[in-house]
Amino acid sequence: MYKKSLALLLVSLMILTLALSGCSKPATETGSEGGGEEEATAADEIIKVGWMGSLTGDQAVWGQCELNTVKMLFEEINAEGGVLDGKKLEVIGYDTKGDPQEAVNVAKRLTGQDKVVAIIGPNASGNAIPIAPVLEEAKVPDIATVATNPKVTVLDGKVKPFNFRVCFIDPYQGAVAAGYGYDVLGFRKAAILYDIADDYSQGLTEFFEEFFISKGGTIVAKEAFKFGDVDFRPQLSKIKEANPDVLFLPVFFKEAALIANQARELGITVPLMGGDGLPSEQLFTMAKDAVQGTYIVNHVDYDDPDVQDLKTRYRNKYGKEMELNGYLAHDAVVLLIDAIERAGVADSVKITEALETADVQGVTGRIKIGKDTHNPEGKEAAIVKIEGDRYVFQQKYSAQLD
Amino acid sequence: MTQFLQQLINGLSIGSVYALMAVGYSLVYSIMNFSNFAHGGVIMLGAYFGYYYLTAAGLPFPAAFIGAALTTCLLAVIIERGAYKPLRERKAPFLYFIISAMGTSIFLENMVIATIGPTFRSYPEVLSRTPIQIGSVSVGRLDLTMFFISAICLALLVFFIDHTKMGKAIQATAYNIKASALMGINTDLVIIVVFALGGFFAGIAGVLFGMKYTVYPQIGIITNKSFIAAVFGGLGSLPGAVIGSILLGIIETITSGYFSSQYRDLIAFVLLIAVLVFKPSGLMGKVTEDKA
Repeated sequence: MYKKSLALLLVSLMILTLALSGCSKPATETGSEGGGEEEATAADEIIKVGWMGSLTGDQAVWGQCELNTVKMLFEEINAEGGVLDGKKLEVIGYDTKGDPQEAVNVAKRLTGQDKVVAIIGPNASGNAIPIAPVLEEAKVPDIATVATNPKVTVLDGKVKPFNFRVCFIDPYQGAVAAGYGYDVLGFRKAAILYDIADDYSQGLTEFFEEFFISKGGTIVAKEAFKFGDVDFRPQLSKIKEANPDVLFLPVFFKEAALIANQARELGITVPLMGGDGLPSEQLFTMAKDAVQGTYIVNHVDYDDPDVQDLKTRYRNKYGKEMELNGYLAHDAVVLLIDAIERAGVADSVKITEALETADVQGVTGRIKIGKDTHNPEGKEAAIVKIEGDRYVFQQKYSAQLD
Repeated sequence: MTQFLQQLINGLSIGSVYALMAVGYSLVYSIMNFSNFAHGGVIMLGAYFGYYYLTAAGLPFPAAFIGAALTTCLLAVIIERGAYKPLRERKAPFLYFIISAMGTSIFLENMVIATIGPTFRSYPEVLSRTPIQIGSVSVGRLDLTMFFISAICLALLVFFIDHTKMGKAIQATAYNIKASALMGINTDLVIIVVFALGGFFAGIAGVLFGMKYTVYPQIGIITNKSFIAAVFGGLGSLPGAVIGSILLGIIETITSGYFSSQYRDLIAFVLLIAVLVFKPSGLMGKVTEDKA
């Protein structure tokens, strides 16, 4: 018994040292409670909005930023008198762990148990696609933030009635990357390294390839890896042999950083290019030197005067820089508030109807929801280039999709 | 030819990481006959300890390196005392050990997420990232260092097992734990030593791994591959673990280099299964009989 308690003591001691050496508390309390118990009596006056996304796992940095942004905006709106003549907004956020199965569970919990009027998130296409049946059953709309795969809102040519989003989609993103790379930067031979186990990565690869070839370029190497891999040198050695003008990375920042480091080690010096999975402050901590000169198709120009106010508010409240997801979470909130006000009542079906005709101005551009696609129509992409530890805006670029 | 040499070097360097991790699995398996899945968690903590000793404590690299290895050494022993010893005393079936190991692994990962946070951390640049060029083949300095550190550690381990009294005791216990106890070997101590060794190697692997690929709570996932390598080489056999790991590394790189990276895992694992079909105990494993 004595020995056992000694072991326990030691373990707790180690946990304590770990916690201390971690320096700061995690960015958010991983919002399993939403923080509104004391207002139970005024329940009628509260509009519950769900949020879902990764609070743990590879994309936790993004998820935490989204939830932080939504919390901040709701606080601001509530302080200014709320919506629908004084009703207060409350966000209930759950962690999907980046897992599609977990996303479905979270969607069920939000709609069934918490009775939210609408859901914001998730950011990942792989998590946003499987929740559609849950939404349809509960008749609750969802506004995905950075889920760019076409199947999030449209499946087999039919629009999913309760799925919306505020970002552009992968065919568009792929077309922009291919068009900008071919026409503006003059690349003719491209190599691709993508994640074979990820919807986003596969979709973007497919569309980039299609548009790049239709422009007249060639894909000299197309290599794959699987989620969880950390070593890409075998694929990169092969890509080096193929001697491309550009290496296209339709992946997320963690892999992008590791790939960049290893590519430079192997002597691959060509510029890298990527989609909206790349921008993150983390990219610089992991691979600052290796990613210099990388071109990124992004949702937002970080230097745009219109986004400075939001950036500052976020930095003042949370003491760190806003991630890309924060801007799209902001626009999802703008879109939702507009729909609630126009619906005139906090009812999920009425809100869904209002969303279908929405046309609002967000920080990432004008969001005019297309009735047949539930996507923001004609949204321009911002091309940014990494210089030092900044994403330097190059130009707005839009591609023609037929 | 250049391409082949480059891929071979890639494979060796990936294989040597697998080897450091696989040894920990094999050591524990040889004595206790179960796969210690908590090993991945210990490796992950090793990477974090190394990181904080270097950055927060400002220790020089060798001190941080040894420090991290000693910390995980202690940690592995604590895990054994807390998670496995009570089961051993109750003569719990083998399955319970595995469940306990998985529980510990999940616990460790989530503890780190909850306390330190889910973000990535990068080691300060201890070794230059510029590779050494031999002809047109480039070899990373870190890879060379990793390869030599792994080789030295494994050589020391083999020496320890073959030429010391404790090493002999480990061998005897691996052969038959009950008979060894009857012969006066303190098997409880042997188990502690084995876990301490495994933990020490986990720390080394963790720091090397963290330096190469950055540190994050899910590092432990990579140990799945090294566990498979250990099985392939023959669980319980140290040379087997090393050879299995190096082979897996090379098979993986050659597959993605010459066939298709899309089918890498498919081809690599079909090969492994084929080996196991013809030699179920792995390449160098002893023919296992039920010890009960």
